Amino acid sequence: MSMYIDPHIHLVSRTTDDYEAMQKAGIVATIEPAFWLGQPRTEVGSFKDYFSTLVGWERFRASQFGIVHYCTMGLNSKEANNIALAEQVMELLPLYVGKEGVVAIGEIGYDDQTEAEDRFYREQLELAKEVDLPVLIHTPHRDKKKGTYRSMDVAEEHGMNPGWIIVDHNNEETVKEVLDRGYWAGFTIYPHTKMGSERMVEIVKQYGPERIIVNSAADWGISDPLAVPKTADLMRKMGIPEEHVQMVTYRNALTAFSLSGQMDENDWLQAPPIDQTKKMSGNSVLRGGQVPRVEGPADRVEN
Amino acid sequence: MASTQDILEFLSGILSKNAEEKSLNWLSQKTEKIQSSGSPTAFFLAFSQASRFFSKEKLQLDEADKNKADELVSGYEPEFWNVLQTARTYLLLSYPQEKETWFSAVNQLFETADMHEHQALFAALPLMPFQEDLVDRAIDGCRTNVALIFDAIALNNPYPAKYFPEANWNQMVLKAVFMQRPLYRIQSQDSRSNPALAEIARDFAHERWAAGRNVMPELWRLVSPFLNEKYLEDLQKVMSSKDDLELAGGALALFNGSSGTGKTLLSEFPTLASQIESGEITWEKVGKEYQDTRV
Repeated sequence: MSMYIDPHIHLVSRTTDDYEAMQKAGIVATIEPAFWLGQPRTEVGSFKDYFSTLVGWERFRASQFGIVHYCTMGLNSKEANNIALAEQVMELLPLYVGKEGVVAIGEIGYDDQTEAEDRFYREQLELAKEVDLPVLIHTPHRDKKKGTYRSMDVAEEHGMNPGWIIVDHNNEETVKEVLDRGYWAGFTIYPHTKMGSERMVEIVKQYGPERIIVNSAADWGISDPLAVPKTADLMRKMGIPEEHVQMVTYRNALTAFSLSGQMDENDWLQAPPIDQTKKMSGNSVLRGGQVPRVEGPADRVEN
Repeated sequence: MASTQDILEFLSGILSKNAEEKSLNWLSQKTEKIQSSGSPTAFFLAFSQASRFFSKEKLQLDEADKNKADELVSGYEPEFWNVLQTARTYLLLSYPQEKETWFSAVNQLFETADMHEHQALFAALPLMPFQEDLVDRAIDGCRTNVALIFDAIALNNPYPAKYFPEANWNQMVLKAVFMQRPLYRIQSQDSRSNPALAEIARDFAHERWAAGRNVMPELWRLVSPFLNEKYLEDLQKVMSSKDDLELAGGALALFNGSSGTGKTLLSEFPTLASQIESGEITWEKVGKEYQDTRV
């Protein structure tokens, strides 16, 4: 079966049904970028606990379904506009960016393209350089083209290597410039807005598979955690070569985010069970004929 | 308990046998930086980034190392530690031990830790300074749903038996049963047995039976020192099981208990009784086999 990586998905908002479906569809690894929660936080402690969830509970939850969970750490552009709070979050970030499985600084960039957004975007580019991590850039929904170009201009102003930056949420209008300038181009497949799978197929046909990365960005809104495998299936149906499908739904994400030194194919190819009570003990010690007494995580996890 | 300096020397010795030179150099550089710098930032970063230099392989130790560990801190069992957590503990113990600043840094570490950092921190409790002030932290840690973290506190760790009040001890042991963790790896279990825990264990067994499910055989160890009519009735039921491990657990509870009626019941199982006498059946073996074949 094909393996997929969903390199942008907000799993804290997803159910265990989603995890099961993702695992069945072939998703082996996910990256959860730190983002906002649909409404602004008002206390720095909320950020602290959220960041801790990304490297703690959510990672464990994913592992129970046989999915390896990575994350990116950063202050998102929307909440950068609360300057007093943003300053405190910036003090908190050094505690998290060096942690295991943190594969980039992100998602950062512009939302309304305000002065405050610009300030904290730049500060975080510097942080990424300091700790040798790639950067995941969130491009704005409104005034997208200008915002995307500006993100790249500023990154270059800070001496960043485009090969270490994933510019996300591209569309037909932004992709050419992003690829031409040497960045990785992320595409978010949303059921209603942004990109649909059909448009994605056309883009891969036109630009080829180099440096193109497909993701679901599934979160608390209408979104599809199976967008990556579904898009891969459509690409196959539409005659895109298997090798290209693999690149845009697996290999490119791995290549880009493993620049961090925190992501390795062996993490899922040779996953050692974290502990014996894991649900996914498919290769258990049971010998032939014995009935496994494996019980669901709900038996051991107190809700 | 030995001094921090002695423990650091010991950890450094076992790390040098378990890690590459490049990693050891990194560790000594960071240690120096932690000790010379006035802020905890260098400490926090090194504590996180240790995962880039040390593996999660189990420590390879010889008998002398194991004995030395127990001599330094009674009950310390580094054979259950991995290399990474040993390095992290080394960094932690290298941080200047001035109470107020130590707590502010260590609280911060606990509050922002990921799974493996939590594992390192909780397992290192018995090696820490000011450990008597960390009881609430350890009790809170037991509320985790992550088995790796729970195990770091509850298993092969002398800290809970030494510091937990009875109610918290009982909650920890019951949670270990609930999570099907190997009870034989909880230290000082027999010396901290108590009637309240036996009662709770019995209620738990009845709940499982009511739901048509089996009961972990090690559970009967909690009941064993307090055998009375009620418990013997339960054990009678256990001894009618078709499952070898359940029978072994029941027999051990009867064998170690001090009830005459219990001994009479056991005498109906002469093979099990002699296997227990010869050491062929022990709580440890029952627990191990249960983990290997049933969990």
